[in-house]
Formats: sequence, C-alpha cells, structure tokens
Amino acid sequence: MQKRMLWTLVAVIVAAVIVVGAAAVLLTAPPKKYQLELWYNNDGHYGDTEDELATVLKTSIEACGKVTVTLRAEAWAEYSQSRRNGELSAMLMGWYPDYFDADDYLSPFLLTGANRWAGSFYGNATVDQWIADEQSTTNIATRTDRFTKIQQKVGEDVPYLPLFSGYSEVAYVSGIQNVELHPISFKWFIMDKPGATEITGSTIDKIESLDPAVAYDYFSIELVNQIFDTLLVYEPVNVTLMGGLAEQVPTAANGLISPDGMNYTYRLKPGLTFSDGTALNATVVKRSIDRVIRLDDPAGPAFLLYDTGKLGRDPDNGNNTPPGAIEVAPDDRTITFHLSAPVPFFNDLIAFSVSAPVPWDYAQDGRQPSTAGSVIGSGPYRLTQHQPLQQFVLENNTLYHSPNLYASVGIPWIPVEDKVTINVRASSTALKNDLTVSPKLADVVYRTLNVEDLRDLEAQASTLGITVEIATSPFIRYMVFNVDPAKAAAVTDLRVRKAIAYSVDRQAIDRDVFDGNVEPLYSLVPSGFPFTEPYYEPVFQTMYGDHNCASANALWTELGFATSFGPQELIARDV
Amino acid sequence: MARGHSLLAYAAGRAALAVPMLLILLTAVFFVLRILPGDPVLALWGGRNPPPEVLERSRQQLGLDRPIWVQYLTYLAGVFRGDLGLSIGETYQGEPVIAQIALRLPATIEIAIGSMLIASFVGIVMGVIAGARRDSRADVGIRLFGTVIWVIPIFWLGVIFQLIFAVWLGWLPPHGRWRGTDFPDPVTGLYTVDSLLEGNFDHFVTAVRHLLLPCLTLGLILSGFFMKTVRANMIRTMNADYTEAAHARGIPERQVVVRHAFKNALVPVVTVLGLQFAILFAGAVLTEKTFSIEGIGLLLLQSVVSKDMTMIQGIVVVYAAIIVMISLLIDIVGAVVDPRIRL
Repeated sequence: MQKRMLWTLVAVIVAAVIVVGAAAVLLTAPPKKYQLELWYNNDGHYGDTEDELATVLKTSIEACGKVTVTLRAEAWAEYSQSRRNGELSAMLMGWYPDYFDADDYLSPFLLTGANRWAGSFYGNATVDQWIADEQSTTNIATRTDRFTKIQQKVGEDVPYLPLFSGYSEVAYVSGIQNVELHPISFKWFIMDKPGATEITGSTIDKIESLDPAVAYDYFSIELVNQIFDTLLVYEPVNVTLMGGLAEQVPTAANGLISPDGMNYTYRLKPGLTFSDGTALNATVVKRSIDRVIRLDDPAGPAFLLYDTGKLGRDPDNGNNTPPGAIEVAPDDRTITFHLSAPVPFFNDLIAFSVSAPVPWDYAQDGRQPSTAGSVIGSGPYRLTQHQPLQQFVLENNTLYHSPNLYASVGIPWIPVEDKVTINVRASSTALKNDLTVSPKLADVVYRTLNVEDLRDLEAQASTLGITVEIATSPFIRYMVFNVDPAKAAAVTDLRVRKAIAYSVDRQAIDRDVFDGNVEPLYSLVPSGFPFTEPYYEPVFQTMYGDHNCASANALWTELGFATSFGPQELIARDV
Repeated sequence: MARGHSLLAYAAGRAALAVPMLLILLTAVFFVLRILPGDPVLALWGGRNPPPEVLERSRQQLGLDRPIWVQYLTYLAGVFRGDLGLSIGETYQGEPVIAQIALRLPATIEIAIGSMLIASFVGIVMGVIAGARRDSRADVGIRLFGTVIWVIPIFWLGVIFQLIFAVWLGWLPPHGRWRGTDFPDPVTGLYTVDSLLEGNFDHFVTAVRHLLLPCLTLGLILSGFFMKTVRANMIRTMNADYTEAAHARGIPERQVVVRHAFKNALVPVVTVLGLQFAILFAGAVLTEKTFSIEGIGLLLLQSVVSKDMTMIQGIVVVYAAIIVMISLLIDIVGAVVDPRIRL
C-alpha cells in the first residue's frame, strides 16, 4: 500500500515538474519573429552610406519588436542579376528620372512585365490601364486623376516603399553668383565670378562619352549640356522649358502639338551654326536623331527616343526612324516628329542631351571621339582641352546663337565667364581639400561630397570664405518588395508589407545617416518640382506615417507574431 | 665567352617560361571571371529600365551571347595580336582596353618607381645601421619604426601627410598629377620624363612636387620590409668568416661594414625586389585613390565594381607581364652578381 502511494507521489511530482517546466519554457521563450532579409548594394553604386542606411532601416523595423531583419549585401553586378531573377525578398534601390515627368516615377516600376529590372514583379491590369491613360494625354485633369489613383494603389499594395529624396550639394568661393543647383542640369555657363574671366571647378565624376548618342551618365550629360544646345532648354533656376535652338515650346495651344498629341513641330531659330561654323538646320536635326537611333549604343539612351518617345526604329529603313516619322517641311527650319502614340512628355525628351543635334560630319557608324576638336556642338561653350581622366577646359563659343537667351530671367549674356576648367578628382576628400588648401585649387566644387566632408566644409565655411548649398534632387530612394507569388523569396502577404511600411522611420534615416540633408519621401513621385508637384500625393504619410509601431504590431498580431503568449502561439505558423 | 653564353641561355630559358605562365594566368582569370555571379550587361543597365530587346542587343554587341569557348578563343587570338579587347564596363564601355591601360600606366609607373626609390633608400640605410649596430638604441628604434610603418594603413598615412604638408603647411599639392592647364607635351605619359624631354625644368619640378606625397606614403610603408630584410642579412654577413677576417686584418669598421658586409647583404635584397614590386602595385590602388591619381590601380578597382571582365583581364595581363619582366631582370642581375645561381 505504502509502495503504491510512493509511486503515485513520484508520478504526481514528475507530472508536475513536466507541466511546470513546459509552461516555463513556453512562457519564457522569446516570441517568434518574422524573418526579413533586406538586401543592399555594398560597392558604392549609391555612394558610401548604404551600410548605414540599411542598418538604420533594420533598427527602425526591428524596434517595433516583431521582426528580425537580416542584412545582406551584394556587389552591383550580382545585385542587378539576383534582383532581376527574383531571388531577393526586399531590397534598397534608387532612381534618377530619364525624363522630367511624373510618369517616369511610376510607369517603369508598375507596368506589368516591364518592371522586372526593379525586382518587384508587381502587376495590376487596372494600374496598367491608368498608366496608359496618363501616358496618352496632356490633359492635366485626366493625368492628375490617374496619377492620384496610381499612387493610392501603390500605397494600398506596397510593392515599393518610398524612403527619401536625395540631395545635391555645391561648395564655392563666396561671392560667385548664379551657382544654381538646378534639378536637371548644372549650368557652368551662367556662373559669374566678379572681376574674373574664368572659373575653376572640381568633381569626382567621370565621363563615359561626350557624344550625345552615348552620354547617359551624370557628368557626360552635364558637359554635353554646356557644349551642345537642344531644341528646347530649361530655365537656369526653374525646370520650365523654353526655346533653345527652337523658337518656342510646342503646346496644344500654339498648335505645334496636334490635337491627338502625336505630332510635335519645332521651328528653328534662323542662322544657326555649330561652333565650327557649319550649318545647323532641320535636316541636320533629323540626321542627328536618326543617328542616335541607328547607333543605339549598348550603354546609351537611344531607347528614350525610339521606345519611350514612340519614334520607332525600323530595320527596313537601316535601323533609322521609320519613313515619315521625322518630317522636314515646309522649309529647312521646320521639323515635325510624328509619333506612333501620344507622348505628353515628348518636349522633355527633346530637351534631353540625347536629342542634341550634332554636325553633319559626325561619325555615322560609331561613337564620335571625346577629344578636344572632335566634340563640336552649338552650346555656349566649346571643349578646347580634354586631358583624359584629369581635366576639361571649356571656352566661349563665339558663334553661340543666343547669348541673350536668359536675359529675361536676369542673366544678360551667356556664357558669363570666358573659360571654365573642371578638374577631376578621385574622392570626396580631394574635393574638400581643393577648398581647404591655400591657395584654393577650385572656385566651385560640384559633386559629390560625402556627408562627413560636407559637414566639415559647412563648419569651416566662414573661415574658408566659402558658401555651401544643398538642395533636394530628383533622385529618389526606395525599398522594393518582391511580390511575385512564383518566387520563393517573395513577400506575398500584403499584411507583412504594410506592417513594414508602418515600421520604417524616415526621420531617423534623415537624421542618423544624412545629417538632415535628405527629404523624407511618401510617394514614388517626389514633391518639390514643377513637373511632379501637381501630381504629388503623400499616400505613405497618410496611410502609414513614420515608425507607427502600434499599427504595425496590430498587423503582426493578426499574422500571429505577438509578444504575449496565447493559444495561437501553440499553432505552427508559416507566413 | 662561356659565361656570356650561359647567361644568355639562362635568360632565354626564364623568358620562355614566362609565356606559358602568362597563358595559364590569363586562362584562369578569364574563366574565373565568368564563373563568378553577376551579369555585366545587367550591371551596365542595373538601375535603368530599358526594353528587353535593348538588353539583348547590348549582349550581342558586347559578344556575350556567344559560347564561352568561342569568347575565349577570340580573346586569346586578340591578345596574341596585342589587342586586349573592348571594355564592357559602365564607364569605358566600347573603349579599347589597351588604350585605357596605356592612358593610366604612366601614372602608376611614376608612383611605383618613386616609391621604390624611397623604400630602397630608407630601408637600406636603416637596415644597414640597424644590422651593423645590433641591439643598440638605434637598432631598437629602427626595428620599432619598421614594424609600425609596415602595419600603418596606406590611406591613413596618406591623409595625414596631406593634412600636414598640403593643408597645414601648404608645401606640396594635396593630390592629382598636375596643376593648371599647361600640361607637358605627351610623349611617354610620364610627366617627369616628358618635362625633361621638352626641356622645361619648371614642369619637371611641378611633376615631382605632385609625386612626392604619394611616393613618400607608399615608399615609407614599403621601407619597413626592406629595412628588416637588409638588417637580417647585415647581421648574417657581419658574422660571416670573411667579415671576421677583415676585422682581423685591421680594416677600419666603416670599411668592413660598407665594402664587405653591406655588399654581400645586398644580394638577397635584390632578389626580393621583384616580390616587392607586386606588393607595390597592390598598394598603388589605395595610394591612387587617396591622392586622386588616375592610375591603373584605380582602373582595376572600377573594373571590378562594374564587372568589366575584359578590362580586368587586360590589367591582370599587364600587371603580370610587368612583374614577370621585373623578375626576369632581377634573375638576370642575380645571375650576373652571383654565378652560383646559374648552376
């Protein structure tokens, strides 16, 4: 009897130990967290702040308590490949628009099938239709409506998470005037150094080519814009288009855009020449556009004309535009572009460097060399010296057609200085040193100073006698979610994407990574530019806010990632 | 006569060995670059949104759509004709690799030679002093210097030199190869040599002033290794029988050190020169970055980032060829100095 009681007692004690132990293990075990892999590039494609940016994002997402973010990095070549192959779940990306229209902040990311490059694989037939609508009309009301709907839908579906608008910066010797951080084109030819005839600048950018058919990197385009004119140009401070080589900007009102939006006519100014004295007429413009499209340089922007710009590329016509797509009539000063579909931003494409006319004698089967003497344009400056990798010297183009082009906006004569010398450096610190050594090695330092060097220069500005300016750039940074259900890495549950959208802290990114220089971004379409302002909808601010852990955690709880212990924690979950 | 013939045969043998060596290296680099993940065309267009046919056309134009063995044979045939192909990277896409290398090589050669001169001078002088006066205060101080300088990061020393000599004192230019727009007439691309060729001493001074800081940075760091090598050999030769014999004959200490110990200590040092050149080229990458000098090291760095396979292959071939030539030269010098090597 006693033996039986003893065994019963032992059994009760063992059972009690098991129950208490199990409860203790369950109650004290750390709550299960959602595992997110966040990828970023680590070889400098987006500058040297990517590690910090990824870390701050990780911290802000993890701070809500329900997610473990694992950071993964790849070099650009691998990153581009694995992103395109759909192997990444969430990733950091950046975008600088090709043309300055809100469309270029939306269609490349959202059009079904055409957004593989971005790694999201988002597709929605309704969104595709809205994009087709806004792309085929110049009507502001229609476009506003469609852009609003598209941005709203991006907010609802969260295939992308806008983070911030980038910044551009310039540091220069105080007293120099007209140093404008133009969002599209930095203009050396409007700068005025009182009492001097020349300006020295520094940059860390490199050129790919000064041939407009090839130039598709920032510095090449910047130099092309000093040496070549386009039919339309941007005002020096604003991004308003005005006549360049053309007399006026085509609009529906002045009849130079046909009612169906498919025909754009430009009337050239009389007596135009290139800096070598050769004629610049409508036939030369047509030949230049055909050359760009025919060459279709492997790394060039030709597709902006034949694909985005709907001019076409016809193999039966020697890979030029199709017969009749560009018409020179009724005289050699009038050119009309007949598009295969309406393109409301065609004027912006015509103002882009790829559309700059080049002389008749330019190489027709390949790239024109970027050496002094070979680069011939019709812009305010001529390239008079090019020391490869080290220096560019620009001098006054005495045959420039419109020295008073900007007189109406307060700059009576361009180019203001007779000569601009731009030295190429290898690092941000070298740029800073150009202004800190005595005597200074540069009057103007433009692109790219990192956050630390910028801070140093700002701190010493009065001692050094320099001015530092920072402005918001059209460059945007965003996070991409892979939403393709066919991909193993995809984040297919919308609630997960929304919870992360609630968690990110854009203010922390601005404060901790960029010293307060960037602008938090709440839509893929940034604010602050005339070409985006009418359409900007801060949907991610109104729908999610910043670092809204309460709302994020409500979603995580719904998904089963709760901090409190409940019956649902006993059920296996897989999201 | 017999000696001359033997030396010639030795040199020819060494030179013949260099060809398969370069071929093996080139083959390895070619295939390794293609096995590694990352698509150069996507790297080219990674942040943009061109239509798919543009990507396909890029791939065709760059020759990347052909079978890998066809690419290899085509490339190899080109190399034997002196054509290293066209760049497929973002910045230099379509440019001949050989032209880009030729553009940058002079800058790297100037840094390499300048640094080697500084490293040899500082390293040998210090090594001789330390070795001849083993365990003296000077020896301890020099050994400490050698150890510390060898482990200092190049970019850190470079920035410190820039701060002291360019920003604070204003004695030397902080970076670059030249100041102003009046460059020397290009003949060799070596600004020091081109200045002398045009007989412009001011230009020569400008070129040397720009070289001083980068060469001092890289040279001092390398001097640590030289110092240690020379010191070890000096200790060995100072203890050798012939040195003792010289001492016994009453030859003054200075003469014993310079004529007997130092001369013999230098033979192994010459042999490590070739190895040092390899290290020096690696160090040139950081030196060029720190001092904004567009040399071949920076080009290699950019090419790796943009997955510019043809450019990387070209640079590796040129690097290897330079190292092989220097090794060959040193082997020959060694064989002349010490006939036992040829045995």
